[in-house]
Amino acid sequence: MICPYCGYRNRPGFLYCEECGQRLAESLSSTTVPTRELDFDTDEFASRSTWGTARFDQQSFIILHIRDADDPITLQPQQRTVLGRQDTTSPQQPDFDLTPYGALEKGVSRIHAAISRNDDTLTIVDMSSANGTHLNGQRLIPDQPRVLRDGDEIRLGKLIAHIYFKT
Amino acid sequence: MPVDFDPYIILGISPDAPADEIKAAYRRIARRLHPDVNRAPGAGVQFQDITVAHDLLTDAMQRRRYDDSQQSKDPNNLYFSLRVMPSKRSIMPLSEPQVLYLLAEILPDPRAQEGQHKRESRLNLTLVLDHSNSMSGTRLDRVKVAAHQIIDQLTPEDVFSVVSFNDHAEVVIPATTVTEKSALKARISLMMASGGTEIYKGLAAGVEQNRKYLAPRLVNHVILLTDGNTYGDQDRCLALAREVTREGISISAMGLGQEWNDKFLDELASLTGGSSAYINSTNSVVKFLNDHVRNLSNIFAERAHLSIAPDPDIRLESAFKLSPNPQPLSVDEGNIPLGSLQLNRTISVLLQFEMPAELQFGFRSIARLVASGDVLANRLQKYQVLSDFSVEITPEPQQEDPPAAILDALGKLTLYRMQERAQEALENGDVREATRRLENLATRLLELGEPELAQQARAEAQQVAYTYNLTDKGRKALKYQTRTLILGASVEIGDE
Repeated sequence: MICPYCGYRNRPGFLYCEECGQRLAESLSSTTVPTRELDFDTDEFASRSTWGTARFDQQSFIILHIRDADDPITLQPQQRTVLGRQDTTSPQQPDFDLTPYGALEKGVSRIHAAISRNDDTLTIVDMSSANGTHLNGQRLIPDQPRVLRDGDEIRLGKLIAHIYFKT
Repeated sequence: MPVDFDPYIILGISPDAPADEIKAAYRRIARRLHPDVNRAPGAGVQFQDITVAHDLLTDAMQRRRYDDSQQSKDPNNLYFSLRVMPSKRSIMPLSEPQVLYLLAEILPDPRAQEGQHKRESRLNLTLVLDHSNSMSGTRLDRVKVAAHQIIDQLTPEDVFSVVSFNDHAEVVIPATTVTEKSALKARISLMMASGGTEIYKGLAAGVEQNRKYLAPRLVNHVILLTDGNTYGDQDRCLALAREVTREGISISAMGLGQEWNDKFLDELASLTGGSSAYINSTNSVVKFLNDHVRNLSNIFAERAHLSIAPDPDIRLESAFKLSPNPQPLSVDEGNIPLGSLQLNRTISVLLQFEMPAELQFGFRSIARLVASGDVLANRLQKYQVLSDFSVEITPEPQQEDPPAAILDALGKLTLYRMQERAQEALENGDVREATRRLENLATRLLELGEPELAQQARAEAQQVAYTYNLTDKGRKALKYQTRTLILGASVEIGDE
């Protein structure tokens, strides 16, 4: 039985991986929902550029407007907030779950992007997601953080959201 | 010939079975246990028992004598039971070997909890205390305090002795009933630290004191406390441990500080069914020893053993005692010593078997388990109980989760195995492998809410990467604390 976490080959009947200690469940491989590969035209999402302030101090918080969602979300970012899609069978879980906003249909990865808090700014980094993260229409290079500004548009797969800073 | 077990139960027949049924039952079991077909040490032990049972029951006169002796049996006698559960009840045959777990639990008689049966066990306790140079100062002071408090716990019914050792052994308190407590304490206060550490001398002198009052109705126990390594006499210590186990004495070994040899003390204790422990701070010595002695006075049955005879095509790969004191067990022993069965806690042992490839469909036996021990409250203490365990081999096994008790225990046991595997890799000179395994261990510990231990594992991973070696402290902490986690998992089993 091959461990879905570390790929180590365990003898059948083992209940935990000998190598990484994770629970081996027989049905695990069949229930993991892989992230859908989307085939779409990037022109569908026109870019925009309005430049707000990049200053984000310790008392600030984020208002996140997800397109097609009813209410804006208030987010108090931690040192690092991982956005993604919760999947009970996945070894890693996001801090903020986008499943209620149609993350699966919109091609959001289980671990998609992270917002990090620095001294006076916020940065966003794509965590090697399947369908990419766009900031104001520009695709981010995985693992390279970019500074976020008030009013920025981010896109995770096809899920679009606007970020506003509030103090 | 006198037997100290029930020959009907051992052969799995009723007390009115006719002679041909006895023979048939014997042959059926012998086919699984005979040394020609089954090389498992447990099978050898059990084969002797069924042979004795068969010889007794097929001799009309001996059988009548045995039956008569059972008439006069005290109905108030207390017993223990053996409960076995598998990780899977139905199994699909595979083209390769597969692993099956059994959890074996020995449970004291529920009647023992009731008032009229509740009787505290009487102790025949020997302390073997290291007073070598390295013990000087606070260490020896704390040990003295611990010994004083142990004396306070004892009753005039108990027997107590103390031996101190460095390069040679000295009897501080010869075996005596505990009547003059202050006089005993005064002798302990006189101990001084000096010299080296030679464990065999201390152990031999301690055993000699314990033997003076050795009796089947008592808890005959030696506690060895040391902070150092012994050189050249380890094999003699182990030989002595084997010898005293047969006599009915158990040894617990406690290591203080970082310098002692954990492999040696583990082996010494587990040979006798005793426990081994790591006392990492001098301050916890007092509490630790006191708790240990308190558990000794709460014993239902002593000298518990388990013999495991897997079927000839099945292999017993490992055995681990989860409760009351987590400890690896040696599967090379035919009759594995498990120590004491306490009144309020089960002894639970997790067994790992390897089943062959291409199993035939149908119900089949896995292993025959026999638990034995001396019930202290009974007039004739020896008692044995048997479980012959089977599972179903089927093309469509039930989709069920393994029992929570097995999952919990195994989850924690896997952590213990991971630190073991890291050390193995290191011993084979594979530093990268060892580092990776320690890092995996740290990750799992963190996920399971053990941040301090996780931190320690991570620190050791770095240590290994730089120095190609673990620190003594970190190695012992990881080994004994991952073991303690197992206890956390198994206590819940006992509480249900």
